[in-house]
Amino acid sequence: MPAIQTHGLTKYYGDVCGVEDLSFSVEEGEVFGFLGPNGAGKTTAIRTLMGFQSPTEGTATVLDADITDTAALRRVRANVGYLPSEPGFNESVTGRRLLDYHGSLRGDVRSDELLELFDPPLDRRVGEYSRGNKQMLAIVMAFMHDPDLLIMDEPTSGLDPLKQEEFLEFIRAEQDRGKTFFFSSHILSEVRKVCDRIGIIREGRLVELEDVASLIDRSGKTVRANIGGSVTAAEFEIEGAHDVTVSGGPGSTESAGDAPEVDGDEESTSVSFTYTGTYEPLLTHLLEYELLDLAIEEAPLEDVFMRFYGDHDAEAVVERVENGREETEAGDNGGEETGDDETRDTETADV
Amino acid sequence: MFETARFEGERRLTGSVVVAVGLSAFAAMMVLIAPAILDEFDVAELTESFPPALVEAMRLDVIATIEGFMALELYWFGWLLVLGIYVAYNAASAIAGDIDDGTMDTLLAAPVSRWQVLFEKYLSLLVPILVVNVVVLVVVYGGTQLVDEPIAAADLVAVHALSIPYLLFWGAFGMLASVLAPRRVVAEGVAAGALVATFLVETVADGTDLDWLGLVSPTRYYDPVAILTASDYNYTGAALLFAGTAVLLLASGAWFARRDVQ
Repeated sequence: MPAIQTHGLTKYYGDVCGVEDLSFSVEEGEVFGFLGPNGAGKTTAIRTLMGFQSPTEGTATVLDADITDTAALRRVRANVGYLPSEPGFNESVTGRRLLDYHGSLRGDVRSDELLELFDPPLDRRVGEYSRGNKQMLAIVMAFMHDPDLLIMDEPTSGLDPLKQEEFLEFIRAEQDRGKTFFFSSHILSEVRKVCDRIGIIREGRLVELEDVASLIDRSGKTVRANIGGSVTAAEFEIEGAHDVTVSGGPGSTESAGDAPEVDGDEESTSVSFTYTGTYEPLLTHLLEYELLDLAIEEAPLEDVFMRFYGDHDAEAVVERVENGREETEAGDNGGEETGDDETRDTETADV
Repeated sequence: MFETARFEGERRLTGSVVVAVGLSAFAAMMVLIAPAILDEFDVAELTESFPPALVEAMRLDVIATIEGFMALELYWFGWLLVLGIYVAYNAASAIAGDIDDGTMDTLLAAPVSRWQVLFEKYLSLLVPILVVNVVVLVVVYGGTQLVDEPIAAADLVAVHALSIPYLLFWGAFGMLASVLAPRRVVAEGVAAGALVATFLVETVADGTDLDWLGLVSPTRYYDPVAILTASDYNYTGAALLFAGTAVLLLASGAWFARRDVQ
């Protein structure tokens, strides 16, 4: 029995499409990432699954309860943890009073233990809390009754980078305990770190549903080489290489700083491309040149992500993604960037 | 069960005490100045110097007794309007306000039904209703004894007790506004506005050709002046207010259970 299953789930707000024809399932014990930019319909899908709003069309079950059967859904909510994207609290009371209250509504079996990991100042009024403290309080509330299924909307938003890491680690540990996670995100690095499968949503529709490993496989590697002398892009149009770009000339290569001592007069060229083949032909080809610096990295999921967004105007896409990132960073203290660099599988060879 | 009622009730306690203290201070002032003012009133002169309709509307004919004076100065405005608006306004923000600030999501994520949430939030309105009534009752009773202008205890208890169905009615109306309105401020405005409008309709229409208009005004079914000056307890009115309360609450619950919380 899948923990969550949707069939053609559709939600319109009047004429405005929230989500349309979503069909997917989240298996028990799985961490499912629901990915998409702001406004893609992630929150709409989650709020419909929680029963806050009824679907316009289609059906869905959460832990076997039909989301339109309010009584059944109410019963299973005892076994569901929910983390909203912008947690709202009664701000005039202390965190402790709120925890007591929500504990009495849904049961409290592990708040003490959770408070060691996520420690908002419980004796202060919630109105005085920072965004991060509110998020931590919301996390404790979502997990305090030890539910089997967690539905989370942008769960790391508001947390500092260290807490984000701890939270992702916590998700992994909880998954080992058999918990199921369904969470939305627009931060690829965190999705990549903890999710088994992802669904990508765009303008209310599911455009891709795949496990993370094969998505990364398909996205290939980013190769950046700094080569002595002058080369042309055509020389690197080998099998499996895409989007070859060549830049530089004397002293203008961006990776010069990382390279071993290069003679100032010597010309060097930067070559970069995406590569989806095996290592051997790539390295053989590269060794035909005077290799000053070489970096082969897992292609950022952003590239894959953008592909699904299907915009032909790359610059516009980049601009939109960058704007999206700036917004996230403003809210998140740039946390996901730190995580991103840390986990990207990097193999660097200096020659 | 009743966790929400308790939680909301606790939150309402501070505001209730503030309103109780404010109305008590006002009541005490009225009681203290009453003896001096009552001596100076010349009812005949008053009723002659104003048009009969105004005398009727403002009930000036009874103002020269301590009962009439307190009924008009404290209960007519203080209860029918001020406390009524306070209750209606608080009820109106109960659901709509929680939806506006996202608190409702956190609450509805728990295994509670919307009927229960609505009903318990409504129950918490008993805190201001009871606190203010009890405190002011004690103050007025003690005060009138102190200045030696006693009011019959039974009438005083009745004027407070019979205000409860009136206030509960406005609480229920506020809840309906709260589940129907798209935003908190709209709900609050509608609830408070409806109270003022019906109060004015009853006050102005009373005794005129448009008297029937007052039938739809809750103000007609709770008359502090009649209770205090004539020991006229309108139990039928109280029953009608309770019935209206039940209808409004059922409608609120039914609508809230169906609507989208966005």
